[in-house]
Amino acid sequence: MNFITVFLFELKRVFSDITIVLTIIGGVILYSFLYPQPYINQNVTSIPMSVVDLDKSDISRKIIFNLNATAQTDVVQMDKSELDAENALITGKVKAILIIPNNFKKDLLLNKSPTIAIGADNSYFLIYGAILESSIKTILTQSATIKVANLLKSKVPLSKAKKAYTSYSLNIVNLFNPQNSYTQYVIPAVFILILQQTMIIGLGILGGGINESLKNKEDGYFTSAPISMMIVSRFIIFGVLFFIHILFYFGFTFEFYHITHLSSISMLLTFSIIFLLASVSFGIFLGSIFSYREVATPAILFSSLPLVFSAGFIWPKENILDILIYLSMLVPSTPAIDGFLKLNQMGASFDMIVNNYTILSVQTIIYTILGYYFINKKRKNSVKI
Amino acid sequence: MFDSLYKAFLHELRSISKSYYKISLISVLPIFCFVFISLIFKDGVVHNLPISVIDNDKTQISRKLLSNLESSPTIHIANTQTSLRNSLSLLKRGDIYGIVIIPKDLAKDTLLQKNPKITAMLNSQYILIGKILTSALNNIIQASSSKIQYIHSLHKSKNKYITMNSIYPIKVQITPFFNTHQNYFLFLVTALIPAIWQIFIIIATLVSFGSMFKNKTQNQFFNDSYIELKIIGKLLPYTIAYFLLGVFYIFYIYGTLGWKFEGSLGVTIFAIFLTTVAYQAVSLFLFSVSFNYARSLSLGAVYSAPAFAFLGVTFPVINMDNFAIFWRNLLPISHYIDIQISQANYGAPITIEVNKLIYIAIFWLLFLPTFFLFRKRLKK
Repeated sequence: MNFITVFLFELKRVFSDITIVLTIIGGVILYSFLYPQPYINQNVTSIPMSVVDLDKSDISRKIIFNLNATAQTDVVQMDKSELDAENALITGKVKAILIIPNNFKKDLLLNKSPTIAIGADNSYFLIYGAILESSIKTILTQSATIKVANLLKSKVPLSKAKKAYTSYSLNIVNLFNPQNSYTQYVIPAVFILILQQTMIIGLGILGGGINESLKNKEDGYFTSAPISMMIVSRFIIFGVLFFIHILFYFGFTFEFYHITHLSSISMLLTFSIIFLLASVSFGIFLGSIFSYREVATPAILFSSLPLVFSAGFIWPKENILDILIYLSMLVPSTPAIDGFLKLNQMGASFDMIVNNYTILSVQTIIYTILGYYFINKKRKNSVKI
Repeated sequence: MFDSLYKAFLHELRSISKSYYKISLISVLPIFCFVFISLIFKDGVVHNLPISVIDNDKTQISRKLLSNLESSPTIHIANTQTSLRNSLSLLKRGDIYGIVIIPKDLAKDTLLQKNPKITAMLNSQYILIGKILTSALNNIIQASSSKIQYIHSLHKSKNKYITMNSIYPIKVQITPFFNTHQNYFLFLVTALIPAIWQIFIIIATLVSFGSMFKNKTQNQFFNDSYIELKIIGKLLPYTIAYFLLGVFYIFYIYGTLGWKFEGSLGVTIFAIFLTTVAYQAVSLFLFSVSFNYARSLSLGAVYSAPAFAFLGVTFPVINMDNFAIFWRNLLPISHYIDIQISQANYGAPITIEVNKLIYIAIFWLLFLPTFFLFRKRLKK
């Protein structure tokens, strides 16, 4: 059998299988639409909160006004007592309460440092963070205004008072994702995983299906075609198809969801190629050990969430047990996500992701060899019986 | 009549005991995933995030500030750099998550009350890490800055009480409700495990019915009588297994690990039961659309795999668009998670959960078209 014949057999087996086609074409497109849906608005805004204003002075009203003016929070109700506000919190109407005490303005003028109490729902960390950010900023600004006013009273000139309200301050520069956009955070990483998972489901169904056919003593090219040719065919079929998907993802969807590109196209595509090689070989290997076609989808599905959360872009890798890191390094998505984020989101140069190249190359070699070994073994077993 | 339900139940039990695959679907595999996820977040809080510092001042004030940074459990000063170039390259490599730059003349400008600015460049691509670093840095720098100001003003006024108050004209008291330890284990694991759990229910149901149709033993099994009861009997072992796994998870988190469960365990466990069956209904419905094993698995994957993102535990529901909310409502697990959070965290009155429980129960109605499709299919 020559290579072209084997290639055509493999091509036909892949594209005549509706389930494989649905996964490797339909799935890739569907997920690119479905997955970003929750994050489309990018930032946490307009969190409902309740204010209990026991002071009702011009300063307390000013604070409420400024709080409402921040993007993160909306003051949706004013409660008469703490108890009312807490009820609203428990029933989920508001996510935070701000209490301005009795005699707030009076104490402020008497230099008695009144306390504003903030209670925030800490069940959702982004909500909690946003509430704290907006309310602390509002109060600090008010605080600074008062300090400047006090300094002016003690005859400090305005130009100096404006600076002297604090000894030194912090200026935070958010690099790589300046708007703290959630889309930019999740999509570049998860899309890599989606590409890998859909590809290995496809290859898993293909390989598992062939093993099943062998077991059932069906006749076909897979009983006799040179295994190396079958493997090369899969590299070409899946490599080319997913290369197109990568162009679609990095080209169209990144643009569509306003995600930054810091890498040059050539560097991005070079890294994409090694990622594709590693994923195809991983899929060939998995397909060679699945005993029937329906094992592929579940196996890949269960691994998705553990893979996302051990990839190091959510929980810092420094805080994850080494053994889990090593385990996840067996899968191409882990070094690939890390590499793609550094290249395209953080503007790293080639030498900064050499390790990622190395790991993916080693994976490619090992999984190809293992795939060859198991395909060969399954074929021999089927002949023997 | 109920005899046939019982027989189908026993039949499935026997088939499970003969298949390693089916056994692991209800035991080893989900437990492995639960443990793996718990281990990732076992520390609960982020600590020792490596950063670089560039100290252009090198005075007592800047050194004091750096030692304050290092003493924070969140931050670890991994190295001291002299150039921004080097530190930026470390940041891009992912060796550090931030760079703190102390300006030249920090000490001098502080004494002259010129309000010098310390700059922190953070890797905000990793949002969670970036936010944690931001709040840690803000706290430390504000505290150290106020301390200096305090000493400074003390020279002038000598009245400790008034001095302290003039630094903090307004005090802020923050009370986190419901997760007072700021623990990310509680944030994430309590949503991730249910998200994985629902994938398993979908898959196990499809494996059980899919393999039967694939092996063409369905006619022998149903034998054209009491089809509905036999379907229920066949589902029952998985209902029990996944219900128990759900309960086991709740007791593991809130019992063994000692997190406080504020509200009604009874309601939550009832919700777990409703959700288990709701997913079996959805899953079997997806199967009855094609009666094709592999294809129904793909459908089940599309339906269940992205569920976690829609729960609203990370990115909040309030900021989701209509389509996302619509899709979220189609997932029983999102209604379950609402109940779990409001019971475990808020201890909300049971009456407000009734609506959500009914919402989950509505998914049970999917059994009706499913039964119909099964009947139609088996008549062929």
